[in-house]
Amino acid sequence: MRHTARRTAAVAATALFLVGCAGEEKKTGDTGGGGASGDPIKIGVAVAKTSNVALLGQEQVIGAEIAEKFFNDKGGVNGRKIDVIIQDTAGDENGAINAFNALIRSEVVGIVGPTLSQQAFAADPVAEAAKVPVLGPSNTAAGIPQIGKYIARVSSPVSVVAPAAVKQALKDNPDIKKVAVAFAQNDAFASSETKTFQQAVQTEKLELVTVQTFQTTDTDFTSQATAINAKAPDLVIVSGLASDGGNLVKQLRELGYKGALIGGNGLNTTNVFPVCGKHCDGILIAQAYNPGYDNPVNKEFVTAYEAQQKKKPPQFSAQAFAGVQVFVEALAAMDTKEKLSGMKLPDLRDKLNAQIIAGQYTTPLGPISFDPEGEVKQAEFWVARIKMGADGKAGEFTIVP
Amino acid sequence: MLDALRSYDALLLQMVVAALLALSLYLPMMAGQLSLASPGFYALGGYTAATMSKGVFAPPADGSFPVSALLLEMLAAGLLSAALAVVVGALALRLSGIYFALATIAFVEILRVLSLNLNITGKAIGIFGIPQPFGDKLSYMWVALPLLIGVMLFVRRLERSRVGRSLLAVREDQLAAASMGIDLTRTKVLAFTLGGTLAGVVGALDAHVLNTWNARQGTFDRSILLLAFVLIGGTRTYLGPVAGGLALTYLPEWLRSRAEAGVLPSWVSTFIDEGRFIIFGVLLTVGCIFFPRGLITPDLLKRGRRFGRRKQQPRPDVTPDASPGTPVTRGADA
Amino acid sequence: MLQKLLNGLAIGSVYSIFALGYTLVFSILRVINFAHGAVFTVGAYLTWALTGPQVGANGALANSQLPVALPFWLAAVLGALGAGLLGVLIERAAFRPLRRRGSDPLLTLVSSLGVAIALVNVIQYLVGAENYSLGTLGGSVSIAGATIRRTQVAVFIVSMIMVVALTWLMNGSRTGAALRAVSEDAVTAQLLGINVDRLIWVSFFLSGFLGGLAGTLIGMSVGIAGPYFGIAFGLKGLAVIVLGGLGDIPGAVVAGLLIGVAEAFVPGEYSAYKEAVAFVVLFLVLLVRPQGLLGRVQIQKV
Repeated sequence: MRHTARRTAAVAATALFLVGCAGEEKKTGDTGGGGASGDPIKIGVAVAKTSNVALLGQEQVIGAEIAEKFFNDKGGVNGRKIDVIIQDTAGDENGAINAFNALIRSEVVGIVGPTLSQQAFAADPVAEAAKVPVLGPSNTAAGIPQIGKYIARVSSPVSVVAPAAVKQALKDNPDIKKVAVAFAQNDAFASSETKTFQQAVQTEKLELVTVQTFQTTDTDFTSQATAINAKAPDLVIVSGLASDGGNLVKQLRELGYKGALIGGNGLNTTNVFPVCGKHCDGILIAQAYNPGYDNPVNKEFVTAYEAQQKKKPPQFSAQAFAGVQVFVEALAAMDTKEKLSGMKLPDLRDKLNAQIIAGQYTTPLGPISFDPEGEVKQAEFWVARIKMGADGKAGEFTIVP
Repeated sequence: MLDALRSYDALLLQMVVAALLALSLYLPMMAGQLSLASPGFYALGGYTAATMSKGVFAPPADGSFPVSALLLEMLAAGLLSAALAVVVGALALRLSGIYFALATIAFVEILRVLSLNLNITGKAIGIFGIPQPFGDKLSYMWVALPLLIGVMLFVRRLERSRVGRSLLAVREDQLAAASMGIDLTRTKVLAFTLGGTLAGVVGALDAHVLNTWNARQGTFDRSILLLAFVLIGGTRTYLGPVAGGLALTYLPEWLRSRAEAGVLPSWVSTFIDEGRFIIFGVLLTVGCIFFPRGLITPDLLKRGRRFGRRKQQPRPDVTPDASPGTPVTRGADA
Repeated sequence: MLQKLLNGLAIGSVYSIFALGYTLVFSILRVINFAHGAVFTVGAYLTWALTGPQVGANGALANSQLPVALPFWLAAVLGALGAGLLGVLIERAAFRPLRRRGSDPLLTLVSSLGVAIALVNVIQYLVGAENYSLGTLGGSVSIAGATIRRTQVAVFIVSMIMVVALTWLMNGSRTGAALRAVSEDAVTAQLLGINVDRLIWVSFFLSGFLGGLAGTLIGMSVGIAGPYFGIAFGLKGLAVIVLGGLGDIPGAVVAGLLIGVAEAFVPGEYSAYKEAVAFVVLFLVLLVRPQGLLGRVQIQKV
């Protein structure tokens, strides 16, 4: 027994030692949170740069990086630079928690992240406990802002836009009677979005002929496509992500489907173009962001993005940009009232959180504000139609008036 | 010190959980059975705790949630997992070696698809807002650490008990064990059930720690990661999986901290940050090649003990090669 | 009915060709090469890279135009050859050192897993996680009232050619005979003067070639959906090779087609459970016929 106790203690001590070492690397605590007036203000971004959700996360990274440069060129927070620190959450809950903790140790004033709603349910409470404001850039599940006082999001749950897309399809073709629905069953967003769509179908008194499910990791959709075609619907509504949703559309079309198509918000990315190619043409997309939206900040954002990436920005980039923007503008508004450099970090974070909720922001997503819980109130949504070029490679989202 | 610890609370808990789950894989391995079923039981345990804490134990309006309820959930999750493990074990343990391992993979996948489809498991979004018995994450250590130490002591005792020796006998030579009167199936099912029960208990705890539970907790990827913990840590003593779980969970985060420490040239930092899983993968392979018996081996412990007594330099290990303990078998039986 | 059967055969042929590479290595070494899914992915990416595309917005090579632009068929062949060479490299790096030491065969699960993690993340590091398209063969054809996509027909045909070629190689050539001898009994084969190391090398090359070609075929059919797109096949491939009887080449082909067809026949209202079909089948088959569909009972030697 004595050996055991000693050995067990040794293992425990090793664990503590390892962690202790890591802890010493950076001074922790909250000394002079506002920092000297010359130091940049740190804003954290925690998104998935690796793992199988990296496709979404890397779009967010680009948006956040463009925001950093954009606002620094404009003078930062009343002349003080911002420093956007990006941490990788990977695709799981533990990774999101670790990224949040790393950012909190880096003494950021607030965090934009994480990528997935499921990650948010695990990581947001960590920020809430540390009293660090969080803006979810792409968490659309119900219940996110209710996690706590410090949690808000810029990503709107798309319950508004789904019915609009269905209405638009009916406007294009009033003879639509039968509707088929397909959704990615392992994706939190798609499975909640599909409910909104199915409700809209009922409200419009259309017949729901089949509901098909798939996984975001699926590549072969012939059985779903065949099942859908067998019911001869006039409209198919797809809720999924770019590669799975795009493939379903492509395989559906190749197997002879001629009717109308609506894609959910997950398909609102130029990433679907390489997947469905010329078959993307004509899909109606429910959008929380449209690159063609006419306001000055969006124009500048689109120009900056195009200069770097040579294509139109996707929604995830715009939302990450908006997240950083909300922090910058809220900080500037605070700084005008009371100099940030005089504030301790916990105090600053607390006031920043209140300021975020109180403010109004004109972002590339259009004007947004927040309700007291932190739920975003987005003024405008769009229904866009995908228009593919003659070569079936390049395409664009044109707003349907 | 406490502040530094608090900022690493989640990581510490992840390390302890990893060590516990690695032990849950190690238990069936004591009887020579490669089971990859742990994530399945882990997921089941988590769902048990999540549904109980939002159902029968639903906290009053002030949100307080007694620790005793957490312990009860862990107990329930353990019992439920044990029951399922007996059934699955009795069915699947008629297979041996790689066939059994593959059956356990199928088990994990089937549970995953089920939890994506059932209402009670919250489908894709899972269950969130799981009540918290503690004000902060670090306090979970009051449950997690005693659990880890307790399980370690238990396994250590087990290794020296009659039952444990029969497990080891089955691992070393099934025919010989059977001829000594050991009931092979019962012994294997026992080891499998112990592992499954532990994984279920850990799942119940982790559901509270993570605050949310969904179908992505119990996956094949996790199975393989746990296997890596055990094989890199060492399969011949219970300290192996513990060390493997702790070290391999810490490694990616250590790389992250290196990347952000700002002491390295920026391109190295960028590579470590964005490519840290490249490094992780390479280290797994290299680890297997240079430490084929794992980092912690009985020999190492023996020498460590001698070293502790005599305070002298141990002889460098030059031949970590095949020993009588690892017979060269073409059959895939572990 | 016919429609479902054709759908099933089309996806099943992909499972088959994927599983062939898996089972080939297993038949020789009695270990599972977890890096096979990653080799599959690399094959698709290599083919894509050789057609001279523009890299997307992410990764170390972001927005660069790749220099070599070959016709698709040549790129596909070179991509598969590259994947074959990668297979050989993996054998040298992750399998041979362990075999030389006579380590626990289980350890190769982890060493090959390490290779898989590294490869997938290297791809992501270089070209990001976006979707890329591969080849253009659109449209569909009608067969007796059932409709099937052209790419699927192409995938099916190429897969079957590969199966026939491999069967010929195994049964009609000296190398094949030697491979079969090694898979029956490596020690005796060695005593008979067969160079076992060389054959292992050959089997990894063939396995990588088939895996890489499968990656290109799937990529052609459904696009390349990021660096993780081979991993899903890896898991299902396990179910296929067990159903076929581990190491059994004709068995793997039949099993792949069967699982494809079984999935296609899942009724629409239960399509949510389709993903579990392969594993339920796997579990049941293991309990009833662990030697696989076509396998014979192996007598355990003591």
